[in-house]
Amino acid sequence: MGSSNRKKKEKKKDFQKAKLKVGKAKAKAANFTDTSFKAKSIVVNQQTLVTDATDLLEQFKQNLSLAINAKPDNQRRDALSYIYNQLSAKPPNNPVGTAGLLTKLLPLLSDSASSVRANLLKLFRVLPPSEVSPHVEKILMYIRGGMTHLSNDVRNDTLNVMEWLLDVAGDETVSCPGGWLKTLNSFSSMLGWNPSVTSAISNQGWTATSASKTTLGTRKGPESHARQIQLLAKFIQIGFQRETPATYDPRAYWDNIYRLPATANPFAYLNLFGTPRDEDSEMYPNRMSRMRVFDAKWRSAIVTGMDGAKKEGGLVGRAAASLDRALKGEVKVKANNSEPEQ
Amino acid sequence: MVKRKVAALEKVDADLVNLQYKIRRDPKSYAQEFYDQWLAYDAQRQIFIASPTTASTDDVTKFHDLVDLVAHVADLYPDLTAAYPDHLKELLNQHHAILSPELREKVVGSLTLLRRKDVIDSTSLLTTLFPILISTPSKTLRTLLYGKIISDLRESNSKSINHRLNRTIQTVLHNLVTSDRTSTKGMWATRITRELWRRQIWTDAKPCDVMKEACLSDNEKVVVGGVRFFLGGDKEREEMEDEGSDEEFDIKRAKHQSVINKKTKKRQKAYEKAIDKVKKQERKKSAPHPLNFSALHLIHDPQGFAELLFQKHLQNTKCKFSLDNKLLVLQLVTRLVGLHKLTIISLYSWFVRYLTPKQPQVTSFLASLAQATHDLVPPDAIEPLMVKIANEFVSEASASEVAAAGINAIREVAIRQPLCMTETLLQDLVLYQRSKDKGVVMAAKGLQSLYREVYPELLQKKYRGKEATMGLRSGEVKLRKFGEEEAGGIDGIELLEEWKLEQKKRKVAEAMASGVEKKEGEEDDEDGFNSDEWEVGSSESDESEDGWINMSDDEDDEPATKRPRTEAEAAAYVDGQEKTAEAIRVSTLAQTSILTPADLLKLQELRREAQVDRVLNPSRVSKRKKELILRHIDEGVTADDIELPAMLGKKSTKEERVALAKDGKPGRDEHKSTQAIKRSKKEAEGKSTTNKEKARKKNFLMTVGKARAKNKKSLIDRGKTLKMHIARSKQGGRRRNRDGG
Repeated sequence: MGSSNRKKKEKKKDFQKAKLKVGKAKAKAANFTDTSFKAKSIVVNQQTLVTDATDLLEQFKQNLSLAINAKPDNQRRDALSYIYNQLSAKPPNNPVGTAGLLTKLLPLLSDSASSVRANLLKLFRVLPPSEVSPHVEKILMYIRGGMTHLSNDVRNDTLNVMEWLLDVAGDETVSCPGGWLKTLNSFSSMLGWNPSVTSAISNQGWTATSASKTTLGTRKGPESHARQIQLLAKFIQIGFQRETPATYDPRAYWDNIYRLPATANPFAYLNLFGTPRDEDSEMYPNRMSRMRVFDAKWRSAIVTGMDGAKKEGGLVGRAAASLDRALKGEVKVKANNSEPEQ
Repeated sequence: MVKRKVAALEKVDADLVNLQYKIRRDPKSYAQEFYDQWLAYDAQRQIFIASPTTASTDDVTKFHDLVDLVAHVADLYPDLTAAYPDHLKELLNQHHAILSPELREKVVGSLTLLRRKDVIDSTSLLTTLFPILISTPSKTLRTLLYGKIISDLRESNSKSINHRLNRTIQTVLHNLVTSDRTSTKGMWATRITRELWRRQIWTDAKPCDVMKEACLSDNEKVVVGGVRFFLGGDKEREEMEDEGSDEEFDIKRAKHQSVINKKTKKRQKAYEKAIDKVKKQERKKSAPHPLNFSALHLIHDPQGFAELLFQKHLQNTKCKFSLDNKLLVLQLVTRLVGLHKLTIISLYSWFVRYLTPKQPQVTSFLASLAQATHDLVPPDAIEPLMVKIANEFVSEASASEVAAAGINAIREVAIRQPLCMTETLLQDLVLYQRSKDKGVVMAAKGLQSLYREVYPELLQKKYRGKEATMGLRSGEVKLRKFGEEEAGGIDGIELLEEWKLEQKKRKVAEAMASGVEKKEGEEDDEDGFNSDEWEVGSSESDESEDGWINMSDDEDDEPATKRPRTEAEAAAYVDGQEKTAEAIRVSTLAQTSILTPADLLKLQELRREAQVDRVLNPSRVSKRKKELILRHIDEGVTADDIELPAMLGKKSTKEERVALAKDGKPGRDEHKSTQAIKRSKKEAEGKSTTNKEKARKKNFLMTVGKARAKNKKSLIDRGKTLKMHIARSKQGGRRRNRDGG
């Protein structure tokens, strides 16, 4: 009874007119907005909607920034496809240059939307290979980051980028600083064949734990596993490839002295200005050094993993066989090498 | 509402936290996952280091998250993450200026987290953070680092004092201050030292040494930091201690609340916590007080320090400090001189220039002068200053405040060195008690009463007063010569002796009453009392039947040298005799017996009692002595002491009075009753109403039925209710469920 009375009163209150009183400030309206504050900066959430920018350069730049910064993934994807179109036009139109493009777009490797990643790979494929090769070290950093990403999709797409890179600049990939050992490390970690993890753990207790092959939360089908092994095989194959001996050039000596070098960083192996490198991030410029390091650090682990994979049969087994061939090919080559010495 | 569909990948992305949780629960099974993330971290780190300035925001956030993950689980994989602390240190050392604020904060936080997990030790953490603290231009980073450094030092000293770490850091701070005396970097040394001093983490001489070096720096800011520490650091420390003990917890209330409130686990826990806290506080109270020396006492070579300070910042004409800061330095120098009784003769002649009424803040200079005076200062050095003050400040023509301040300053100096005054000057100054201004009168009278006690010969006969005249005649009031020290014993030992004697007498009386006669030798052994002393007392008690001794009888035994002539003189003579007799006895007690710990405790207690007594009965002690008792030796003279008499007899303005009245009362912007203000305040704090208030608000119709029923009660029922009411009030006034009431 009492409460209903109260409710009635409360209901009435909404429609009552506020009494004005002498000497009192007027009551503020319900929709009153306090504007007394001061702001140091204003953020405009909307971006310009004008699309018909007359200047091609401006348009390209806008799309490039959209590809990086836009929130919705459709917008990013469309921007990437615009850039792709510009690059694949018959005289390719690239006002910012491959280097600029790569610096801006590489963080998209681990983008959350798969369509963006697919478009990015498409875009990379049309980049001129000769301009990509000087930036291999940088690209590899992002690839390594992507290969150990939490999400399986990102890992797989990164493998595609890796494949592209091996196609475009295989030699540089295996010989750049950190390109050989660190990438192998990432591969083996991806496959679960990493000896350092097992050694780090096994000394903590006496139950022998094998490195688990399943990753957190995501299903890993045989296809992706097989693909990883395949790519590793390709990587190793390129690493163990025999260099074609340079043909004798009588002017090479004088060119070396008096001409500007043709390659981007000819004295990279000296590491004159960088931070001192450890064993992993060292560069292994020729086949012999790569093989030596591989034998010392990775062969046993990878062979063990490979044997396990072979036994699985199917897709994985076949991929493992190709890896075996890659390793064997190297053995054959090694045998060939050793023969003339004897 | 439609739930936003979260893409699978987004979920995974957010799952670094989830992964962290899983890793921590089962580090072995998730080692592979962790290693993947470790590699990802490594790759991101290289991307970042390759071009720290141009790294995209995307990369930075990714790196930030990975740093966070690795920091949280680094202790679980010590082999894999061995390089991690070094990575962070390197990152911070080389790129702290260009790191984004969030990443920077994360790196600092991760390092401290590693410290807490004992992955790295305090020394390496602090030696990493400290150089950045003093070199970074970013204020937020400085604040963060300062906080982290202080908290880490506190933490590592919490269980037991980490001497090694403290020594390392103190050495670092010392080097910081001494390496480049012109830079402001020393500020950080002073700030850190002061904070740790305030928290009583550092209490030894080394931090004082750091501050001493700071005082001798060339940079004004650093000097002021150091000087302020010596002038106020100890007070700050005391205040901090008081604050800590202030938050008392009402245990009775907590107990009551635990009874009336619903019993939940949370409340139970809170109650237990409160109990623990109270217990801890009690333990703290009963713990022996840490013997903390004041910073001024811990200074090594105060004479050299004061001299250097004086020469460098005050005497040096090239020193361009502001007046305020110079005054601070002066305060420190004079404080040191007064406290340690140092001799810096040139200091007094330096003062001459500043002792004019036109000098800004002259009262501070006067206070410093008073502070710099002690009984070992040659009177010749101060005398010209006294004359100068008298000439400049005290004249009929000068304003009354000025004259009052001048006379008061002279008095403050004279308290410490009475020999600084000449007869003519004093007689002239004393005459100012005929002035019209109350402040001047009080100051002049103060000076007069001071000299009545210490050196009445200088006063004209009519101003000497009765006591001083009598004292002069009896030889009790004697001028202490320059360098003469008061013969001192153990403070309060005569009280102890008196008490012991009383105890003895009471025992004897008891023994007599019970009729059991004990041999005196036995009693001696019991008390551990000096036998010679006791023999005297006992022989007397044997003579008097009731065992009471008349103390004043003592002097009758001694041969009187000179008989008093008048009654008044006789009284004074008796007093003097008694005192000398006491002094003699004091020395014998301290010399002939060993004071046990129990004796010392009693002595302390008696001393405290005596002090309370002295404060409560001011008539027994002269004003000057009372002042000296109240003022601790560590406290210096301030400008307020000099200005005080000038304020006497001044009426305050209306605004001041209104402000004084309003102070501490709730503000009222509208007309409201006090009750209403209280209620609204309670409501705003989210507190509930009392039962009375609830009853008042209750709907009338809900209560009317009960009221009516009460009226209709039969006589028997009424009696029952009344009985129940009485029973309830006896039990504690609480109505139980269904107790029939």
